[in-house]
Amino acid sequence: MLGTTWLAKLRGGLAACGLLAVAACGGASSDDGPVTVSVWAWYPEFKGVVEAFNASHPDIKVEWTNAGTGADHYAKLKTAITAGKGAPDVAMVEFQQIPTFIILDALADMGEHGANEDKGLYADWAWEQATDGEKVYAIPVDGGPMALMYRKDLFDQHGIPVPTTWAEYAEAAVKIKAIDPNAHIASFGSDGGWLNGLMWQSGCRPYGYSHTTAKDQVKINLTAPECERVVDLVGDLVDKGLMAKDPFFTADATAALDSGKYWTWAAAGWTPGYLAGSLKNTAGKWAVAPMPQWTAGADEQGDWGGSTFTVTKQAKNPKAATTVARELFGKSDAAWQIGLDKAFLYPLVKDVAADPAFTGKAYDFFNGQKVNEIFVPVSEKLGDFQFTPFQDFVYSELNDRSAEAMSGSRPWSTVLEQTQENVVAYAEQQGFKVGK
Amino acid sequence: MTRSPSITAPEADDPPAAPVESSARRRSRRVTARPVAGMLFVLPFFLVVVAFLIVPLGYAFWLSLSSKSLAVGTRFSGIDNYVRAFTDPLLLDGLLRVVLFGLVQIPVMLGIALAGALTLDAVTTKFALAFRLVAFMPYAVPAVVGALMWGFLYSRTFGPFADLPTLVGGEPIDFFSVSLLLVSLGNIVTWAWTGYNMIILYSALQGVPREMYEAAMIDGASPVQIALRVKVPAIKQAISLAAIFTVIGTMQFFTEPQIMARFAPQISAGYTPNLYAYNQAFAYSDFHYSAAISFALGFLVFVVAYVFVFVNNRRRGKRA
Repeated sequence: MLGTTWLAKLRGGLAACGLLAVAACGGASSDDGPVTVSVWAWYPEFKGVVEAFNASHPDIKVEWTNAGTGADHYAKLKTAITAGKGAPDVAMVEFQQIPTFIILDALADMGEHGANEDKGLYADWAWEQATDGEKVYAIPVDGGPMALMYRKDLFDQHGIPVPTTWAEYAEAAVKIKAIDPNAHIASFGSDGGWLNGLMWQSGCRPYGYSHTTAKDQVKINLTAPECERVVDLVGDLVDKGLMAKDPFFTADATAALDSGKYWTWAAAGWTPGYLAGSLKNTAGKWAVAPMPQWTAGADEQGDWGGSTFTVTKQAKNPKAATTVARELFGKSDAAWQIGLDKAFLYPLVKDVAADPAFTGKAYDFFNGQKVNEIFVPVSEKLGDFQFTPFQDFVYSELNDRSAEAMSGSRPWSTVLEQTQENVVAYAEQQGFKVGK
Repeated sequence: MTRSPSITAPEADDPPAAPVESSARRRSRRVTARPVAGMLFVLPFFLVVVAFLIVPLGYAFWLSLSSKSLAVGTRFSGIDNYVRAFTDPLLLDGLLRVVLFGLVQIPVMLGIALAGALTLDAVTTKFALAFRLVAFMPYAVPAVVGALMWGFLYSRTFGPFADLPTLVGGEPIDFFSVSLLLVSLGNIVTWAWTGYNMIILYSALQGVPREMYEAAMIDGASPVQIALRVKVPAIKQAISLAAIFTVIGTMQFFTEPQIMARFAPQISAGYTPNLYAYNQAFAYSDFHYSAAISFALGFLVFVVAYVFVFVNNRRRGKRA
């Protein structure tokens, strides 16, 4: 419902911009005044970050708009890019969307304005995803290294060991059901990004794409055993009634997390921030453990989500826009103070993530546990992972085929097979040469 | 006081043919002399229609004649997009779904609306006035708000309905399951639009001459007979109008599934044709294919509406 209000406000704002004052809505300044750079982003607590930037950059003035969260934001951004005008100078873009915006010819190369200097500043995996050779399409901000959140009180009380492998996870699921028939070990969230994160953690590398090397070639390999075993596991849990079916981020799922109906959530580095505000009853009862492994003793890790700043090709002053993208967070202590303490972002700036102030931070929500001691090594362990230039389609396919499996109209074992087939057909229809 | 020869009412709104024709002919002779003032009165409306209907339609049609693939770029493709649309299993599935949906939902909703209108027409107390207002209220709620609200009402945690069967030892209802989803959506649409249709039908009933009821009563018709055999035939035109608007609305089914998709993973990207067109444009950036889907859908709606009106007119013609 909040979303609707934002939308309404935004529509009002846009209408006012269009009708009244073009100059006041993102025009570059003429005289000696600061250059105006428009930014679209949906980070929580972002107002303070913008104010901190404006205070420390007298020559640039950031004008921030919240154009909606996720899909709403992208729909507007893609429309503005297709229309050739109306896009902001700087736009927040999540990692999995970067190739999509590259192929839409939406992103300016910040490498031309010195952004390659930042290479060493950010986590390697993030920099890899944000760039293509010397071309810098995005500046990383926050990430979503995955770890297992679990209800420590319930696991302790019933003497269930915290699962270190996925096999133990499935065993725990059975025990939980036996203890409380209404409880589930977790929910299958119908979230393509989450499933993708689990596959990443399983060592599955289903996509390959480089716009610079070959813009019309893409690799799709969703049926590799490392990918299939993830869907087999969660599908089996869902079929047995051990895993619930609520989509993530709905009121039902949040209530279930807060009422003991879900005992775990394989979640991301940003999740504590998201949860701390919503779970009042169970605050202090959660703890974080490393992700269960597919092979005992292994150390495979995955990421779910995370975002960057990009400069659009519609930017009137790409140099100033690049400065904004690099320095809104970047090395700014003031911005990260807000980002870490209020917005609970997981920082992709190596120095910030390594700072004892971050690693040593005790969270009340986790009963004083220093959870970043778990998240930071995960982010450091993350390696190469690529996305397709049509990731929305892939996630939508994953969700729709999983939904069919959840309703019983398709065996889970065919979900990835069918997704692979449909995605390949789509890619070929879009003019790509598809390899495995 | 007029007396009808039969209990069936005459078609009050059937215009006599001859005078219309002759007046039309008279007008056409004077057309060159039409004052400029008249044109000026029409101009604002005309400009709005051109700017917000004709031009966008033309632009969308032009878009639909070319293709933009992500890897290759834009090229003229003629009717390729339309061929793709009419052979796209996702689109056809969605189309079949809204047709099935309409076959059940439209008669149910119009049936309730008609029953409500007839009841309102028969009862003239203060309660009727209040009922009219309340029945109309859902229509005043924006569709997005309505869909969100029902999303919560259907919720297992927050809604009052899902757990009802557990009171008698049954399983809780999952309103978002694949078997109930269309029913859940149909309920939202029925909730939102029944009152609106009821008011249309009620207004039409107000235009029926009261003398006809009196005549029927003198002929010995019961109130139920009057309702079904006098009132209903008398407002047949209004019923068809309500039906055709509803058919068009159903073919364009969008807001409720779009909003409910966040609660119901079973709502796929191509759940309804309009949702599919939206996703093609705003998620997959294929504005060209989206335009083709929209045009194909528009054409289908036109055909369905035309056939509906044609059949309706012929049936009337036969009876006369």
